[in-house]
Amino acid sequence: MLRIQNLSKTYPGGTQALKNVSFEVNDGEFLVVIGLSGSGKSTLLRCINRLIDPTEGKVYWDNVDVTAAPPTELRQIRRRIGMVFQQFNLVKRSSVMTNVLSGRLGYVNPWMSLIGLWPQDEKKRALQALGRVGIADKAGERADALSGGQQQRVGIARALMQDPKLILADEPVASLDPVLSHSILQYLEQLNKEGITVICSLHFLDLVHRYATRVVALKDGVKVFEGSAQEIDRAKFKEIYGEEAQEVRAASM
Amino acid sequence: MNNEAATRRPIARSAIASALIPGLGQILLGQRYRGVGILLGFLVMLGTVVWYKDPVWYLSPVLIWLWNIWDAVGLAGGRARSLLLPVLVGLAAAYGIGWQVVEIDFRNADLDRAAAIVRPMAHPDFIQPRRERKQMWVQVQVPCSSEPPTARREEEGKVATVIPDCGVVGETLIVSVNGMWPNTETEVTWRTTIGDLKLVGEGESQMLVVTTDDAGSLTTTIRVPSTALVAAPDPSLPQFHRVYFDQYRPIGGVELSYIGNEVLKGALDTVAMALLATGLAMLFAIPLSFLAAHNLMGGNPITYVIYVAVRTLLNILRSIEAIIVAIVFVVIVGLGPFAGMLALALHSVAALGKLYSEVIEGIDPGPIEAIRATGANWVQTVRYAVIPQIVPPFTAFTIYRWDINVRSATIIGFVGGGGLGFLLVELIRVNNMRGVSAVFIAIAVVVIVLDYFSAKLRERLV
Repeated sequence: MLRIQNLSKTYPGGTQALKNVSFEVNDGEFLVVIGLSGSGKSTLLRCINRLIDPTEGKVYWDNVDVTAAPPTELRQIRRRIGMVFQQFNLVKRSSVMTNVLSGRLGYVNPWMSLIGLWPQDEKKRALQALGRVGIADKAGERADALSGGQQQRVGIARALMQDPKLILADEPVASLDPVLSHSILQYLEQLNKEGITVICSLHFLDLVHRYATRVVALKDGVKVFEGSAQEIDRAKFKEIYGEEAQEVRAASM
Repeated sequence: MNNEAATRRPIARSAIASALIPGLGQILLGQRYRGVGILLGFLVMLGTVVWYKDPVWYLSPVLIWLWNIWDAVGLAGGRARSLLLPVLVGLAAAYGIGWQVVEIDFRNADLDRAAAIVRPMAHPDFIQPRRERKQMWVQVQVPCSSEPPTARREEEGKVATVIPDCGVVGETLIVSVNGMWPNTETEVTWRTTIGDLKLVGEGESQMLVVTTDDAGSLTTTIRVPSTALVAAPDPSLPQFHRVYFDQYRPIGGVELSYIGNEVLKGALDTVAMALLATGLAMLFAIPLSFLAAHNLMGGNPITYVIYVAVRTLLNILRSIEAIIVAIVFVVIVGLGPFAGMLALALHSVAALGKLYSEVIEGIDPGPIEAIRATGANWVQTVRYAVIPQIVPPFTAFTIYRWDINVRSATIIGFVGGGGLGFLLVELIRVNNMRGVSAVFIAIAVVVIVLDYFSAKLRERLV
């Protein structure tokens, strides 16, 4: 279970990205975070695995205080939290295989990984992960030779290598077209059904309705809604998204 | 009427102001930058023509002064004049002064001399027909001892003799040889006791060449060279010198000539020297480039000061041409390739440091974030997210620098830096234009080949 308590983040420039946000995520949920660009979704996700350190508040994961974890413990926490990014964040010049294997860095012998030596069973695991997202045949290619949808699948395979209990997906489909969006989210849904908790930020309402088991909405860093996806109707949506609501709806069509 | 008078007054006022001090009228009309610009332009122009003391150029400040009054009047009426005229006047003055400084003068051009230099260059001395040699020599004593041995030598059917058996410097000797190839040009030369080659042809600066008769014999006269004893510790002590007879004839095919050999060696030296300099530069440039990367060092005031200091240092080093640095290093470490290599390395540190730091600044932070999120430690993050991003462009820039360094190395040879450049200077000094031509060709070939391959390699890396 993930418990977020009074989380606030103020950036050095003075921007307040999160203001006193609290909510809980039960194991096995597919929690979707919605909100306008700049509403604090990315900051929230990054505070959970402390890619960004929150200014105030606590994050508890299975009753362990993530926000207080010393570096070694933090790395052990991180390796069970997979992360998928809007821009895929693959190393473009490295092979697909290397990108997927790098998901395993928290587990393997650091010295062997530095000289690029990977145990045979890790390579097997990587091929399996690629097989699960349907691109095992691309293992030897350079990451930037793949299409956007394929790159995001490599991103998911990399997260899978972490043997994750929780996956954080930061707008995983915002750079993809609607058809690909569904294909990517279906992979996440599949993993969710296998017991991995998913916290995913999304933009489009139809996707939210289709995949979310629960929704948290942010507006200017403040939590303005928490509940089931069905509760979000037009009026609620407009409340969260403000004046731009019409455009966002149009874009989701 | 009233209106007209109201506009006329500022027109007169700004015209007078600009006539007194160029630009003042414009400033009074509120066009501060224009006014100051005009004043500066006028002063620079005036200063320059005063400096060069050529009355004809006084025309340009006068023209600008006149234009400035015209502009002030126009401006008072609400319309600025085009800047084209003063810019053209400025350019004309600058070109004129440039002409004067360069002292363009074709009267001293000597086309005959140019032809004498260029004509041999059409036959670069790089390869020659393969040939075999027939050689014979005989000893002769200089100066004479009390009982000089007979100056006669036999070898494999060849006989060479000198009459008389000994001589003093400047004495005429009759030399003859038989058993050589018939009807073949034969080079007759003198070698001192220590093996120094002395020419015995006209003025002791030409090779003496005599053709053998049908029987393969020749007889000719030579003088004991005036410099035959310059290296002898005691010129009064009789010593044995040798007279050589050399014949050559082609046996088909071609081989590298002596100069060709030197050129080939020089080219390899140059490429290797550039490679060493580039490698050395890379070692220093990599750490410096991290200090000169804004995204890494911009965080806090202390690192920012280091960033600015390193950047400034690199920019200063980069602005000094490698050949100038080479002259400094020649003073420090002495003449030779070492000085040239150091100069190239220093210049390359600056150039590579800047290029590398730009690669680091352009790095994609996404993968770093992603690798950190997997639970990787700091070193693993650098290894898997940073290094893959910077190594290919680093390598590409390094190869490109090597390519540049090969070109620079040929120039740096001029100040004693070894390689092709040094060979070139030596050949120019002894007026061996055929050799110079061979070096030119070698430089071109090396540069073109390297340019091609470095381009191909970089294409694959980036």
